[in-house]
Amino acid sequence: MSHPKASHVVDARYMEPPEPFVQTMEMLDTLKPGEKMLLLLFREPHPLYKVLRQNGHAYETELLADGTFEILIWR
Amino acid sequence: MQALLSFDKTPPFAAPLRFFITAPLFSLAAGLLLLWVGPDLLASRWTPGLLAATHLVTVGFMLMVMLGALIQILPVVAGANLDNPLAVARWLHAGLAAGALLLAAGFLLGNGALLGTAALLLGLAVATFLVASGRALAGVPSTSPTIRGLKLALVGLAGAIGLGAWLAVAIARGWAVALPSLADLHAGWALGAWAGTLLAAMAYVVVPMFQLTPGYPARPSWWFPGVMLGLMLAWGLAVWLDAPQGIRLAQVLSALLGIAFAVLTLRLQRQRRRARSDVTYRYWQLGLASAILALAMALTATAWPALADRAGWSILAGILLLVGGFMSFIIGMLYKIVPFLAWMHLRNRGGPRSPVPSMNRLLPEADAQRQMLAHAVALALLLAAVIAPDWLARPAGVVLAVASGWLMVNLLGAARRYRQHLEKLDREAVAA
Repeated sequence: MSHPKASHVVDARYMEPPEPFVQTMEMLDTLKPGEKMLLLLFREPHPLYKVLRQNGHAYETELLADGTFEILIWR
Repeated sequence: MQALLSFDKTPPFAAPLRFFITAPLFSLAAGLLLLWVGPDLLASRWTPGLLAATHLVTVGFMLMVMLGALIQILPVVAGANLDNPLAVARWLHAGLAAGALLLAAGFLLGNGALLGTAALLLGLAVATFLVASGRALAGVPSTSPTIRGLKLALVGLAGAIGLGAWLAVAIARGWAVALPSLADLHAGWALGAWAGTLLAAMAYVVVPMFQLTPGYPARPSWWFPGVMLGLMLAWGLAVWLDAPQGIRLAQVLSALLGIAFAVLTLRLQRQRRRARSDVTYRYWQLGLASAILALAMALTATAWPALADRAGWSILAGILLLVGGFMSFIIGMLYKIVPFLAWMHLRNRGGPRSPVPSMNRLLPEADAQRQMLAHAVALALLLAAVIAPDWLARPAGVVLAVASGWLMVNLLGAARRYRQHLEKLDREAVAA
C-alpha cells in the first residue's frame, strides 16, 4: 500500500489493539535509512509516541476531516 | 513487545481497580434503599430517598468509575502522567466513598451536618484530582478532540462539584435559594458539561478502537465539548439573571446536542467491521437508545412545562439517562478496560515467552452477558415502578441490587484470575 506522504503505510484504522502497535514496530524494523512510514489510526497513539521518542524516531501527526490521524514516522 | 507496551508511569493495576470494584457497591446500596423505603421513594423528584439513591448512583458509582479510569487513561489517551498516581488514587477513593455515603445519609435523614461534611469531603477529594490532573494536562497541547474534550470536561467537573457543594451547604444552613432551578443547573453541569463531555471525549477513542467503527468526524468532535460548556455557562447566566426563556433555550440546545452525539455514535456503530456483537457493543446500544429517549423527554418537558410537573415524567427521564444511559456506557467500558488492564500488567510482568491468559479468559464474555441481562431487567422494572410503584418499586430495587452485585462479582473474578496468574509468574521467577 502506498501513499503520497510515504511509500510504507500501515492502515491500522480497523485493527484491534495491540495489532497497530505490533505492525508499526515491525514495519519500522524494515525501513532503510532515509525512508519514512505512515500510520493511519482513528486515535492519537500516545504510548507509541513515547516508544518512538525513546528509540530516536521523529514523527508528525495530522488530523483529517474524517477523523483519521496520519502519523508520519522517520528516523 | 512487553517492554514496549509499558511506559514509565503506568499506574499500578491497584490504582484504578479499587475504584472499579467498590463502585458497584453504591448502585447496590441504591437498590437496597429502594427495597427498604418502597413506593414512597418514587413519589416525587424531591423525596429524600430518591435524592439519596440518585447520588449513590451518580457520585458513588459514576464519578467513582470515571475518576478511577481517568487516573489510568490520561497517560494513554493524552500522554499526560499524574505525579504519584497511587497516592492520588488512595485519597480520592477514600474521599469519594465516604463523601457519597455521607451525602446519601444526609439526604435520607435530612441532616444538615452530614450534608455539609459530605460537601467538604467531596469538594476536597475532587479538588485533589483536579489539581493533579490539571498539572498533568497543563503542558499537553490539545492536538486531538479527545484532549480538548478532557480539559473542558474537567472544567465541567469543577462547576458541577462547586454547584453541588454550594447547594448542599445552602440546604444544610437553610439559606433562601431557588432550589429547583439551581438543582437543574447542577444536574446540567454534572451530566452535560462533565459526564457527557467526558463520555464523548472517551468515545472518540474507544468506539472506533473496541467496536471497529469509522472514526468520529474531526470538526464536530472538536466543537462538541466547547459548545456544551458554552451552553452550560449560558444556562448559569440565565439562572443568575432570572431569565426563564434563556434557561429553556440552553436546556433545549444542550439536549439536542446530546441527541446529535448519540445519533452519530449509533450511525458509526452501524458501519462497524466487527461481525460479533460483544457485551460492550450491546451495553452501548442500550445506553444510546436510553439516552436519546431521556433527552427527548427532557426536550418535550421544556417545550411543554406542564409535562415536567406531571408525576413521574422527570423521574422516568432521570432513570433512563442514569441507569439506562450512563451506567450502561460505564459498565460496557469496564468489561473492556478491566480485562485489558489485567492482561497488559501481566504482559509487562512476565518474561517474553511467558503465556498470558486471553482477555476473555480473564473476564468471560458469558458472565458479562448474563449480568447485562440483569441490568436490562433492572432498568425495565425501575421504569415500570414509576408507573406502578406499589407493585414494582421493591422488586425493581432488588433487581438493581442483584445486577450491581453481579457486576462486582464479575470484576472480582477478573482480579482474582489476575492475582493467580501473577503468583504463578512469581513462582516461575523463583524457580528459574
